[in-house]
Amino acid sequence: MKSFLKAAQLLILSLFLAIGGVDLTALAMGRQEPPTQAERTGAAVASVPAAEAATTGSGTLTGKVTLSGKAPAGDKLKMNADPVCLQAHSHEVMAQAAQVNDNGALPYVFVSITEGVSGSHPAPGDPVVLNQVGCMYEPHVFGMQAGQKVEIRNSDSTLHNVNCQAQVNKKFNIAQPVKGMKTDKVFDKAEKAIPFKCNVHPWMQAYGFVVDHPFFAVTGADGSFTISGLPAGTYTVEAWHETFGSAAQKVTVADGESKSLDFTLKAS
Amino acid sequence: MNKIRITIVTAFGFAGLGLLLWATAPSGQVVNAAEIALSPRPEPDPAVGREAYRDSCARCHGETGAGDGWDAAKMFPRPRNLAEGIFKFRTTESGTPPTDEDLFHTITHGLPGSRMPDFSRLPEELRWQLVYYVKSLSPVFESDQPVPIDLGSDPGPGRADLAKGKAVYEMLQCAACHGVEGRADGPSAPTLVDNWGNPIRAANLTQGWTYRSGAEAKDIVARLLTGLDGTPMPSYNGAVPVEDAWQLAHYIRSLQVQAEFSDRIRAARTDGPLPADPADPAWGKAPQARVLLSANLYKEREVLPVSVTSVGIQALYNGSEVALRLNWDDPDNSTDPVPDAAAVAFMPDRRMKWELGSLRAWPPAPDAPKLDWLRWQSREQSSAVHAAGQWAVVLKRPLAGSGENGAQIGRDAGGRPTLIGVMVWNGGNGETGRHRSNSIWLDLSLD
Repeated sequence: MKSFLKAAQLLILSLFLAIGGVDLTALAMGRQEPPTQAERTGAAVASVPAAEAATTGSGTLTGKVTLSGKAPAGDKLKMNADPVCLQAHSHEVMAQAAQVNDNGALPYVFVSITEGVSGSHPAPGDPVVLNQVGCMYEPHVFGMQAGQKVEIRNSDSTLHNVNCQAQVNKKFNIAQPVKGMKTDKVFDKAEKAIPFKCNVHPWMQAYGFVVDHPFFAVTGADGSFTISGLPAGTYTVEAWHETFGSAAQKVTVADGESKSLDFTLKAS
Repeated sequence: MNKIRITIVTAFGFAGLGLLLWATAPSGQVVNAAEIALSPRPEPDPAVGREAYRDSCARCHGETGAGDGWDAAKMFPRPRNLAEGIFKFRTTESGTPPTDEDLFHTITHGLPGSRMPDFSRLPEELRWQLVYYVKSLSPVFESDQPVPIDLGSDPGPGRADLAKGKAVYEMLQCAACHGVEGRADGPSAPTLVDNWGNPIRAANLTQGWTYRSGAEAKDIVARLLTGLDGTPMPSYNGAVPVEDAWQLAHYIRSLQVQAEFSDRIRAARTDGPLPADPADPAWGKAPQARVLLSANLYKEREVLPVSVTSVGIQALYNGSEVALRLNWDDPDNSTDPVPDAAAVAFMPDRRMKWELGSLRAWPPAPDAPKLDWLRWQSREQSSAVHAAGQWAVVLKRPLAGSGENGAQIGRDAGGRPTLIGVMVWNGGNGETGRHRSNSIWLDLSLD
């Protein structure tokens, strides 16, 4: 028992030393600026030269995406085929594909910079999580950096299959029959709107975007988005929606500037 | 010269090793040994491959492999678009291309239950040239490498634990699509679509003869772990220990009904009234004939796909009546868009040949005796039970014919049994009229 305690002590001590060691190295290199995203997430810090920090900047883009025209009536999802799904919701669930909120606010719009980004943008070490909860994908629309890990989770006590129908990246169709199952996948190449589907529950649908840089966002319930950390420059910004199409605009952002950029998509 | 001799010696050596393994290995190893015994592969020869492809494949898969050959339209399932590079039958990870051996296997054995025939009659060398040529049709084989997955090894049917296999079936929730008893009647089955958005049926696991790429335990393990790319069937690789996959495979084997088809029905004699209820224990006395059915109707060169591929038939008779009990797999008993239905036609005179497809007498004769019929449809629920994806229906009629066309049940003047034909319509599949599954003419004899 005594020797076990001693061993544990040693282990804890060495852990402290190891953590302290990282801090000391950082201090020794004399870095003062706030850590880059890659450093925060613990991605290959050593391999990223300090000069690359310049590819992030201090510009910010904020805006709102709205729908003009008459919003279509929403579809109620029928989950009767699986009682696990049905019981997971106390209210009726509406399809997200054409969800429009108050004043035309459009959620689930993927906003990203499609032209003008330069420099190197290593993938963050933190995985993106694609969760299956209540027989719905969470998030419904998401972005990831090329090379970033995606953790696909099943949080439901029912079978889900994850049928990823990528065109540029590798397709796959995997089963997650047990609650708590996790599968890691990596998408190497930039690709727009990769469909993720569950054939067991055909209403389940998600879209994943693989981007070469970190300058993307998905609109929230109020249709708003923020893209920050932008270096000064002129960019093409695209807003994409699964039902209402896409729109693009050019914008110039200076250092430290916070620019507003709204999009209007049309209901057909 | 020396080189050739070495090759021959090596080939025989491998063959010998194959035989040795075959003799000593447990049953599950036989296939691997057989693969070792294959003679060495030829070098790719694109000209030979192209010609063999034109001869044997292009008719369905099209010149460029796009699945648009001139015979493609009348097929269900459709021939694969080889150019797209999505292959169902692999031993590799989901989303990776098949190995050369996987393609060789499909070409050699064909895909039962589809129109893909087996090409085992082609010389082995030519089949390898087809493998190379098929690979040249899709960029997938350039951009991605096959990633073979560990398929484990067969514990052998003797060491299969069916209770464990059943527990795995439940844990993996196979029943969501394939149904509790494997008859493709799971709650998600009606909504399944393939990756191109076309409706697709879950496999009826009880019908081994319809499994596309083999119904043995090793085939089931491969399909389970690799998934069928392009279809809703996902890969369970990593979601189940490989040993459990084998237990599941043996359990699924136990769900398969014997694929021994017959065209002879023997009615068993019984005393007293004939049972009207399909669940009546009296049916235990009647032997069952399993009869193969096929699609009846082509429309504009396209076969109208049917879902019922076989029917089990039992018969009982007493002094005055005969009762037939039909059972067939149909995932649902819905009457939408039309009701399910079945009919039995009785040939009044064996000298006439009625065509079961067109229902015309052959040779054509205006005074040909008419067929006698027993008909059933699912809006009349009497004498019928639908459970676990299967209909059981009882139909009764007198032994004696009635009227001038009545078919007498029993032997005719020449001592030959009565001829009957069976038809089934799956209303949920929109089958009605000539769109149905037909048997051939069957012998019905009284024991």
